Amino acid sequence: MLEKTGIATREQIEKLLPSPGRRAEGPYAVMECFQKIPCNPCSTSCAFHAILPMDDINDIPSVTPDKCTGCGACAAVCPGLAIFIIDESKGGGTGTVTLPYEFRPLPGIGETVKAVNRAGEVVGDAVVTRVLPGKKTKTPLVTIEVPLSLVHEVRFIRCEAHQEEDPSVADTLREIPAPPQTADIGEQDDEVVICRCEGVTLREIRDLIREGYTTVDEIKRISRAGMGPCQARTCGPLIAAEIARMTGEPLGSVAPSAHRAPVKPLPIEFFLGGDTE
Amino acid sequence: MNLPKSASVVIVGGGISGCAIAWNLANRGVKDIVVLEKDTLANGSTGRCGAGIRMQWGAEKNCRLAQFSVNFFENANDILAYERDIEFEQSGYLIIAANEAEAQQFRKNVALQNSLGIPSVFLSPEEATAIVPYINATQFVAATFCQKDGHLNPFHTTDAFAIAAERLGVRIFKHTEVTGIEVKNNRIESVDTTGGRIATHIVVNAAGGWSKAIGKMAGVDVPVYVQRHQILVTEPLEPILGPMVMGFSYNIYIQQVPHGSIIMGRSDHTEPRDFRTTSGWKFIEEMTKTCGTLLPYLRTAKILRQWAGHYCMTEDAQPIYGPVPEVEGMYLACGFSGHGFMLAPATAELISEMILGEPLTIDVSDLDIGRFKRRELVREQSVV
Repeated sequence: MLEKTGIATREQIEKLLPSPGRRAEGPYAVMECFQKIPCNPCSTSCAFHAILPMDDINDIPSVTPDKCTGCGACAAVCPGLAIFIIDESKGGGTGTVTLPYEFRPLPGIGETVKAVNRAGEVVGDAVVTRVLPGKKTKTPLVTIEVPLSLVHEVRFIRCEAHQEEDPSVADTLREIPAPPQTADIGEQDDEVVICRCEGVTLREIRDLIREGYTTVDEIKRISRAGMGPCQARTCGPLIAAEIARMTGEPLGSVAPSAHRAPVKPLPIEFFLGGDTE
Repeated sequence: MNLPKSASVVIVGGGISGCAIAWNLANRGVKDIVVLEKDTLANGSTGRCGAGIRMQWGAEKNCRLAQFSVNFFENANDILAYERDIEFEQSGYLIIAANEAEAQQFRKNVALQNSLGIPSVFLSPEEATAIVPYINATQFVAATFCQKDGHLNPFHTTDAFAIAAERLGVRIFKHTEVTGIEVKNNRIESVDTTGGRIATHIVVNAAGGWSKAIGKMAGVDVPVYVQRHQILVTEPLEPILGPMVMGFSYNIYIQQVPHGSIIMGRSDHTEPRDFRTTSGWKFIEEMTKTCGTLLPYLRTAKILRQWAGHYCMTEDAQPIYGPVPEVEGMYLACGFSGHGFMLAPATAELISEMILGEPLTIDVSDLDIGRFKRRELVREQSVV
């Protein structure tokens, strides 16, 4: 089902939950991460070693609930916005859900918002109890209070008070100005691995941009960045942003990398008849 | 960078042929060369091809052109002073014969190739499996093998020619599309582009699939058509394949690149003759079926992506080289029928010699555009 609809089933979610005893004790992280992709920020973000180190960057994260404090550090670094902090220990028939919220403006504490489930349907009202602006991670965390029966259902909020007529996404992208040219970025940034599938660093990307390779595809052809299992899902936007920053072009005018079938790696035998799922 | 007002030679097309010709001309001392590319370098057939090179052909001209190119590629990193690596791996080509008739033709091919100094050999299926252990030997009756054949990285190879050319003063303009060619008294006068006009008397049409459209701008009918060809690539695997495996009846070529990925492609002559580069389901079904039969070991390998590019086809599957009778100053380097990448060093050498009026290293006077009207065609059979 997940593969067809993008929505995790009840059974899949229940497998992720700690024991009832642990759930009654205090907040805990739920990692709704079902697909093997080359991604590991969560495993290095936990100060309490509650998330096991990954042998393979494609591994699915594994949490030790007894070590988890529900601090939310992992939720703020997850690029897939797939980690939620649930607290069922408050009593009074309600619990809280802490979720990543990457929209502006942020809701205010005490504000009533619409609680939305994984399918995007409004399932009730929620009250915002905490807002962490995410200055460092750029991913704010919003905590909402909902009836206990909904803590495993509600995964997003809709702030209707702030809804305005939105320009199209393309228009918005075009309007985003190139970030200011900063010559002094620091040596350590250069060593950041941008394409994790093929091990290409920011230094290599920047060198190529300086040499005149100023499209995502040209950089891909020379460096292999984006040719690996994730097919540029991670590095493509990062490289486009770096091109925009270094050339001063608006991000919207940097052509994205070509996306190719079958999008997700599939074995040859998959196509040899039989199962057509 | 603004376009110059004039150029001694304008090369249309920033693929392997255009970049190689630019370098070759500049290396002979020609100044003021301009390359025009409507997108980015190697964005057309070059960057989408299987990037193999083989000397095992059925037509003598193709053998000689490939032989010249192999010799060049063996030293290309040094000749072009390339800081990266063109990744030329001479891991060989194993070409399998599906039936006795094909085996007979292969015997003739090997005799021709050997007479030209190409070290190919004729093999039994057992001998072939000693070279490619995972191949299903029940699926073919004979094979030929040439260790000197191999494959390259098409992006790096184009990059190497382009950088070497620029070092010699060639000016390459990306994102600059040719919109017209001015001809006066049957002679080329200038080229119009999206970046302005360049006065020139010599235009090299190395525009691959777009060479017909470029010819038309000068009133030349280039007898080529384009057709989509598709390829897929797997995740990287341990080195298991060795040489490129190719079968004409099986309609497959399959190779493992140095990075570990396996690349495979096939033809479909029922494809419409147009510029589509979308990916099709029929291709992946047929391709995986052939692969699963010939190399069952690969059935569990995961496909990362498929893509498509164009073959710029001629009637006899051989290139069109040289000037055109109707318009003075237009030189054709097109119609490679799927083999333009591997022949590029020879293409560059010969087109340069033609432009400068020097004797030809390989006599390709019969690969001119006039052969189609004369009906003097030597059909190349050894193609996928």
